[in-house]
Amino acid sequence: MKERKIAPYVYIFPTLLLVIVFVYIPIIQNFYFSFFKMSSYSTVKTFVGLKNYIRIFADDIFYTALINNTLYAIISLIFQVGIGLCLAMLLESSFVAPKLRTFFRSIYFIPSVISITVVALIFQFVYTPDIGILNGILKVIGLSKYTHAWLGDTKTAMYSIIAMSQWQYVGYIMMLFIVAIQKIPEDVYEAADIDGATGIQKAIFITIPQVKEMTLVTSVITVIGAFKVFTEVYVMTTGGPGTSTQVLGTYLYRSAFLNDEMGYASAIGVIIFFITSILSFIQIKISKSGKD
Amino acid sequence: MKRKGLMTIVLAACVAITSVFSGCSSKTADTSTKDNGKITIKFLHRWPMEPNKSFLDKVVADYEKANPNIKIDMQSVANDSYKEKIKVILGTADAPDVFFSWSGEFMYRFVRENKIYDLTSALNQDGWKDTLMESQLKPFTLNDKTYGIPYSVDGKVFFYNTKIFKDNGLEVPTTFDEFLKVCATLKSKGITPIAFGNQSPWACIHYIGTLNQKVVAEDVRAKDYAAATGEFTDPGYVEALKKYQQLIPYFNANSNAIKHDQARISFVNGKCAMMYCETQEVGEVEKLQASDFQWSMFKFPDVTDGKGDQTKLTGAPEGFVISANTKHPKEAIAFLKYLTGKEVGLEEVKDTGILNGMKDIYNTSNADSKVIEAAKIINTSKDIVQWLDTDLNAQVANEYLSDTQLLTGGNITPEAMMQKIQKVAKQVKSGTN
Repeated sequence: MKERKIAPYVYIFPTLLLVIVFVYIPIIQNFYFSFFKMSSYSTVKTFVGLKNYIRIFADDIFYTALINNTLYAIISLIFQVGIGLCLAMLLESSFVAPKLRTFFRSIYFIPSVISITVVALIFQFVYTPDIGILNGILKVIGLSKYTHAWLGDTKTAMYSIIAMSQWQYVGYIMMLFIVAIQKIPEDVYEAADIDGATGIQKAIFITIPQVKEMTLVTSVITVIGAFKVFTEVYVMTTGGPGTSTQVLGTYLYRSAFLNDEMGYASAIGVIIFFITSILSFIQIKISKSGKD
Repeated sequence: MKRKGLMTIVLAACVAITSVFSGCSSKTADTSTKDNGKITIKFLHRWPMEPNKSFLDKVVADYEKANPNIKIDMQSVANDSYKEKIKVILGTADAPDVFFSWSGEFMYRFVRENKIYDLTSALNQDGWKDTLMESQLKPFTLNDKTYGIPYSVDGKVFFYNTKIFKDNGLEVPTTFDEFLKVCATLKSKGITPIAFGNQSPWACIHYIGTLNQKVVAEDVRAKDYAAATGEFTDPGYVEALKKYQQLIPYFNANSNAIKHDQARISFVNGKCAMMYCETQEVGEVEKLQASDFQWSMFKFPDVTDGKGDQTKLTGAPEGFVISANTKHPKEAIAFLKYLTGKEVGLEEVKDTGILNGMKDIYNTSNADSKVIEAAKIINTSKDIVQWLDTDLNAQVANEYLSDTQLLTGGNITPEAMMQKIQKVAKQVKSGTN
């Protein structure tokens, strides 16, 4: 009897070991390094206590990065989750012929499987002021006064990057919602039809409440993703112009590898860890209360 | 039941052992190994693009043929990523034996951490030192010890379209005020005076570096550029930024959104009259230009009311260094000597238009008129002043880099920018004390 109970643990053990060695120990090491001053190639570490953290809270660039990440999260919620849900409802409704549904689903979904670096490079070209497509289209339809140096202007750069992200991931979130909507039993809708509900009433009072759990999941994915963002910003502007598009991820990278301040970068890493942990914790709490 | 338990333990042990082994395998591969009596030298450079890539491929192939017991393992990483990658690689035990480095502070920070091999004694042997230009060895020297050998010497000059100048009756300006007048004339005729791409902010840094050198007194600048004593409180720095601001109306539009390479295209196709370029770029312009494109070069004009030095040329040699942890110093030095020597140098000028650090490396048979012009400018400059971002400590350099983009976009004033620099300089100064 005893041997039967050991088996599962013995199987789990190697993976557990890998996770501890490659995830948990580095996180603890990161905490440790955040109390030092050092560079990636230095031979000595200098203990500085809480100086890195004190510096972070007085650092303008850190707050710029935090604001950018928050902006990213809010806009992603509105566009990816909000519009993703609307698109999903539209595609599952009677407005779209069943034959066309697969076609539209593929079109919306394909951007999310393209590598982020490729998308970033493509959009860099789209946003180029003189020969880019965006300014070109604006000129052709007579809106040339709206043309901008999208990535070269501190006021528009961050929004341009966020816009690119929405284009890429709306389809992915939409697919998740489509799966959730397809799980809603047909008889709920039939009952509503008998009561004489319109399409919009069905959407608001049936579909949206029924996909509440998926809404929570996608909200968490987008918000935590917004705080971990790196590649999009790094490839498109490396945090420029000035420091207007810095996000926590790129600021960490810059401190570590450009400013030769590994200790400071570790401190930023610790803060990212806390922010994403708190967000995950809140998610778990909300989803648990939702189950009651 | 006993059999089932035994199988479980055996299988789990297999999973554990294989996962441990996959982690170990990278450690057993030695970096420079002696394999079949061959010595492998790891070689890292920053040119994955033409024309340097094929040129270096040729150099390595020729060397391997002449030295059958040496194998060169060559890799390349592009410019901006190189600056980051090298810092990480040098923190590991896997550093390449021979690798590229900018001179000045960029190299000094690695020397201070004992990552670079001291070449002083090797240079004093067989008269190696006397074959090289002393002014180009100085930026690779720290505390009287030399650590690197130049592969390319470089200076920043204005490339200009001679036809546009002739058609508009313009002469080459010798002072900054004359230069502004030339720009104003060009602009009034509907020609964009200066091509400028600042998406990678080093393009602007080159302007600011030159202006700092011409406006701020030499001894003040030397004190401020050193990490331990840097303050940047001299009003000359604000003055230098103001002079840069005077150029902004004459740049092409949206310079912060355009890369330097893209801007160069608009110079070569005649849309812009001038561009501040490195002499290294002669080869790249010649590759792009139409056969009737007429151009020449002139040095950055003198700032007549500036307190700094007007004759030095902004520029810095780039070259190669040897890792302090190399297992084959003798072979690495031999390869380095070949790479930066006369035989390769003559071919280098012909194939890439780049001059290396050797004396008398060019003549009319291997260099065209533009390369010779560039070489003359470099050789007649009594000294060079390095790029601002490789001359300063990393944090001050990065502050300058990000702020110049704001300055170019009109998002910050010179005074406010210098205040930010002063703050960072103070932090660095207190960190080193």
